[in-house]
Amino acid sequence: MNVMRPMPAGQVGRSVPRLEARQKVTGRADYVHNVVVPGMLYTKVFRSTVAHGRILSIDTSAAEALEGVYRVVTGEDIKTIVPEPYYGPAFHDQPVLALEKVRHVGEPVAVVLAEDPYIAAEAVQLITAEYEELEPVFDEVEAVTSKAVVHEVLRPAGTFPDLKHLVGRRDTNVALDYQLRRGDVDAAFAAADHVFEHEFRTQQTMHTPLEPMVSLAIPGHESLTIHTASQSPSFVRIEIARLLGWPENRVRVLVPHLGGGFGAKLYIKLEALVACLALLVRRPVKLSLTMEEQFYTITKHASTFRIKSSIKNGKITGRRCEVFWNGGAYADIGPRVTQKSGFTAPGPYDIENVSIDSVALYTNRPPAGALRGFGIPQLVWAYESHTDLIARDLGIDPVEFRRNNILREGREQATGTAMKDAAIEAVLDDIAQKMDWSKPFDRGTGTVKRGRGIAIGFKASISPTTSVAIVNVYGDGSCSVYLSTVDMGQGSDTAMAQIVAETLGIETENVKVIHPDTDVTPYDMATLGSRSTFHMGHAVKLAAQHARDQLTELAASLGLPAGTNYGPKELFKKKYGMQAGNIVGVGSYIPEYTSPAPETGLSANVTPFWMVGGTGVEIEVDTETGHVKILRMINAADLGRALNPKVVETQLSGAALMQLGFTLFENMEYDNGQVTNASFADYKIPGIHDIPARIENDIVEAEQTNGPYGAKGVGESATFGVSPAIANAIHDAVGVRLTEMPLTPESVFRAIRAKKG
Amino acid sequence: MDSTSRQIRFTLNGRPVSARVESHLDLVDLLRRFDLFGARESCGQGLCGCCTVLVDGVAVSGCLTLAQLVDGKSVTTVESLDESGELSHVQQAFIDEGAFQCGFCTPGFVMMAHELLKQNPDPNETEIRDYLAGNLCRCAAYPEIIRAVRSAADRMRPA
Amino acid sequence: MRGFELVHPASLDEAIKLLDVDDPTVRPFSGGTALMLMMKTGVFQPSILVHLGGLEAEHAAVAVTPEGGLRIGALATLTSVEHSAEVVRVAPVIPRAMKRLANVRVRNVARIGGNLAHGDPHMDLPPVLSSLGGAVTVRGPGGTRSIPIEGLFSGYYETVLTRGELITDVTLPSQRGWASAYLKCTTRSADDWPTLGVAVSLKVTDGAIAESRVMVSAATEKLTRLPSAEAVLKGANAGEDAVARAADAAAAEAETIDDARGSAEYKTELLRVYVKRALGEAIRNGAVQ
Ligand SMILES: Cc1cc2nc3c(=O)[nH]c(=O)nc-3n(C[C@H](O)[C@H](O)[C@H](O)COP(=O)(O)OP(=O)(O)OC[C@H]3O[C@@H](n4cnc5c(N)ncnc54)[C@H](O)[C@@H]3O)c2cc1C
Ligand code: FES
Ligand code: FES
Repeated sequence: MNVMRPMPAGQVGRSVPRLEARQKVTGRADYVHNVVVPGMLYTKVFRSTVAHGRILSIDTSAAEALEGVYRVVTGEDIKTIVPEPYYGPAFHDQPVLALEKVRHVGEPVAVVLAEDPYIAAEAVQLITAEYEELEPVFDEVEAVTSKAVVHEVLRPAGTFPDLKHLVGRRDTNVALDYQLRRGDVDAAFAAADHVFEHEFRTQQTMHTPLEPMVSLAIPGHESLTIHTASQSPSFVRIEIARLLGWPENRVRVLVPHLGGGFGAKLYIKLEALVACLALLVRRPVKLSLTMEEQFYTITKHASTFRIKSSIKNGKITGRRCEVFWNGGAYADIGPRVTQKSGFTAPGPYDIENVSIDSVALYTNRPPAGALRGFGIPQLVWAYESHTDLIARDLGIDPVEFRRNNILREGREQATGTAMKDAAIEAVLDDIAQKMDWSKPFDRGTGTVKRGRGIAIGFKASISPTTSVAIVNVYGDGSCSVYLSTVDMGQGSDTAMAQIVAETLGIETENVKVIHPDTDVTPYDMATLGSRSTFHMGHAVKLAAQHARDQLTELAASLGLPAGTNYGPKELFKKKYGMQAGNIVGVGSYIPEYTSPAPETGLSANVTPFWMVGGTGVEIEVDTETGHVKILRMINAADLGRALNPKVVETQLSGAALMQLGFTLFENMEYDNGQVTNASFADYKIPGIHDIPARIENDIVEAEQTNGPYGAKGVGESATFGVSPAIANAIHDAVGVRLTEMPLTPESVFRAIRAKKG
Repeated sequence: MDSTSRQIRFTLNGRPVSARVESHLDLVDLLRRFDLFGARESCGQGLCGCCTVLVDGVAVSGCLTLAQLVDGKSVTTVESLDESGELSHVQQAFIDEGAFQCGFCTPGFVMMAHELLKQNPDPNETEIRDYLAGNLCRCAAYPEIIRAVRSAADRMRPA
Repeated sequence: MRGFELVHPASLDEAIKLLDVDDPTVRPFSGGTALMLMMKTGVFQPSILVHLGGLEAEHAAVAVTPEGGLRIGALATLTSVEHSAEVVRVAPVIPRAMKRLANVRVRNVARIGGNLAHGDPHMDLPPVLSSLGGAVTVRGPGGTRSIPIEGLFSGYYETVLTRGELITDVTLPSQRGWASAYLKCTTRSADDWPTLGVAVSLKVTDGAIAESRVMVSAATEKLTRLPSAEAVLKGANAGEDAVARAADAAAAEAETIDDARGSAEYKTELLRVYVKRALGEAIRNGAVQ
């Protein structure tokens, strides 16, 4: 077989089925859950029952006495392995196991290690702890001024220059206060025809990947191997090495397939704990969370957004945005969300005068991190609801009003970065056209009213971050690509193989993708924020080009004329006299970037590309019950050129449907800091009956000129517009405005009642 | 070993097997002992279908099934579907329609789709939704799943 | 959930004997779907589970009674009831309600006796079966008795069953002349347990409502019959006016409760709407029969 059979160009842009499709439909795909190693101990975590308290005592004796229990470990034991056991990507604020204080219900306080998972679970029931309860704070706005302080001292990680000023700050819950000042908003407000001000809130939700978080650590001779369901194997290695004071090469991190991530499995989650336990007991240790425990581990930020705009002659002239992010007890990546998303808070509109304050807060809730959209859905929810309210009040068609104010190519966004390759208007037009926006609309009859709504949003990419890839061509001409990007369902394995195939002129199906193994695969910052297609895509393309160039050189060195028909197999044979050798191509990529100025938040180059997405919906409201039915949903996005149209389309639809759950009913409910619905019996996610009768996903024709083969990220774009599009449609149907998510039937019903008086 | 454990015998994907099983063990954990990972626990509450297996030809949630209760019964898992080396029509339709992303829920959906088509070879969209309402997909591949089931029905219909 | 014993009695009498102990950790286990949920979350830690599944051969039949009603063995699975030709003929409202009850896998193993004995108010069958005038036959150490389903529940997760008593059969009277409807209302995802369940049965003679049963569940602490609504309906013309008045009476009478699915106030309003819609549907169902 000639595996390097030359292919006509066109690997990119082809709807190749996922490379791992067969393993997935047969149940044979590898997940960390399947990994069992000899001598492995199972663990179960004992968790805090108070939201904020000082630990007075922990009694593990009864648990230790249970037959089959190997050991019970507390925070003090962890210190014998890591004297300063605090971890986190932005702040080193999270203890491996609670030390002195607990800061949220569900925080890990002790761990049982046992030969059998059922024994570990039973033993945990036998542990007791006493706490001196401290006053908690749960609300993000209250946290700004609250006397209850979650962390006595701030401990930024030091890796981010823009967090340096926070080092050692005391007695505050403010983990980051990002500011942007452009023009003069007060002057704009003073000179305006109209000024509008609203407050919008979102609730805390959870990613609930169906594969719950799981990690396994295996101690070796002065080394450690970690199998983990992680979106960021390179970060795990670096952070574990830092905690242990080891060089990176003594820590090996492997990631097979992921059963969903959505941001839940980013940075470092269970890995520090299993690593410490494995070193402590010198045996392999596995920790598998239940669905319930995921709710105590990482969540999506609840938020409050106060937004104020001035209008003059139908144009938005000024906008003030104050955003409060409920980060929970540990910062995780929250401060990044606060900044990276914060600077897009005014929306995709051309506004001269802008003021943004985006504030990350500690509270006594489970930590919040990144969830599909990285804060953008919370922002779009507010600014697109606000935009709609303004248009309605001014009596201007909401689409027209948006068009009048839209941020066009070449114009500066609030940060001062000029818009490039951002098809914002095209996305808006596409949705409006699909919805026949200018035509009359059937408004329903009797007690069932119909309405429609549109919303658009945009997002900057996380920068500057690095990706490295290796393409290895073997003696028979077959090849593999080595990368630490994690395919958690978004189809990155297939997309990367397509890039290799396109560059080398071979078939995608013949490219093998080597899954993350930090002993083998090179560095990648993380699989997050739709960065992989662009960043890793570039690195892979460079690696493939590097390999191709070396093949060309090899041919030349063998005295073959340029453009020879010799394939790699023949080249190797000719060079080594047998099937032997390798060509290793390496690619490394980091985009250019200018960090925002600390005082103004401005930057001329804040992102290498923009993601744009929007949604239009037609809905039906049952005015007697408040039930909202989505009759039709149209999602459109600018993702540059689609590397794999079919995979891209399912990404759009999947993202929008996930956001539909957050919009309509998903909500973590609390009783004094205790999540009261931490299971699928009570925390409902969208099922097959909840999806709209009609759903259309549109890839807007565009090209990202600096992207690999014109492509850019897509995994989040369809989340942006869903929530405000639905709220806008409800307003359209029944004339009421909801400002707080989720948009439950009861809240719709109450609003209708309130309007009737 | 637990005093409540018992030796059970059952048929697993057509082959007779036996195991010593504690009373509390559930069927998902029992299957893991046989290196079968296609049925997997996610919600642990009967709601997501990731743990779907057939017991005596009837679909159940493995997470809600005590392992001791399969004594004398026949258990069929997703791994049986391609024993011939060929994918089933349903599996192939799932691939062709792109009916999954992360794949964690997929074996459960595939098993349920087989059951549906056994009982109703030509289901309409409502019937598909009703039958699959007990399976969750967090990647929300639902539209593609519905298409895949329709497509599998077409492929299985005698020409 | 470790360390319990799973025992397999050979007869109903043996099961009753095993269960006739003063120990709440000894429980009958039929489909186990409700019990497994409680055991997994640690709400219930059993010492002995008396598995009834082995008695299926004698206690799972579905049959039409000589009077034209139904007798369903307590160990019949919900799926077998859903697909029984007898049930479809005598009480088509049951299979209609089943479609949205839990899911196929749960229905495949859950049994009708376990379903009724569970006592969770957020269930779909108790209102349906009670609106049809159903009763359960119960056998215990003291003998056999019959309990109307509307009187089976004494509180939140509580039934009137006493120590050692097992449900052996569910019986329904003949439905001749009656028309029924069940509406399930969910307020979160569509596949949720009900926020409100309304089941109604009407006997309409010459356009007038001779008799009715109006049952609500889920929004109330336990399955509840609403006599004030029935009183409004009695003798009234089967039309919009009576339906609206009955709905108002139902809303005024039912004591709804707050929970994560909605406030009591909201559920009262839902109840008004759903009673109205269920009555309308039953009247339409009656007209086509
Ligand atoms: C995922 C899921 C979703 C669900 N969704 C719904 C829904 O939407 N609507 C709905 O109505 N219900 C729903 N349920 C509840 C379901 O209907 C019940 O779990 C089921 O009917 C109980 O039947 P079982 O045979 O499994 O009971 P078991 O779990 O075996 O027993 C339940 C209780 O009854 C006792 N018991 C069992 N048999 C007898 C008997 N013959 N006599 C006396 N006592 C007995 C047991 O000791 C136990 O206390 C859901 C359940 C699950 C797991
Ligand atoms: S794990 Fe069994 S149904 Fe979800
Ligand atoms: S494909 Fe990921 S959960 Fe369904």
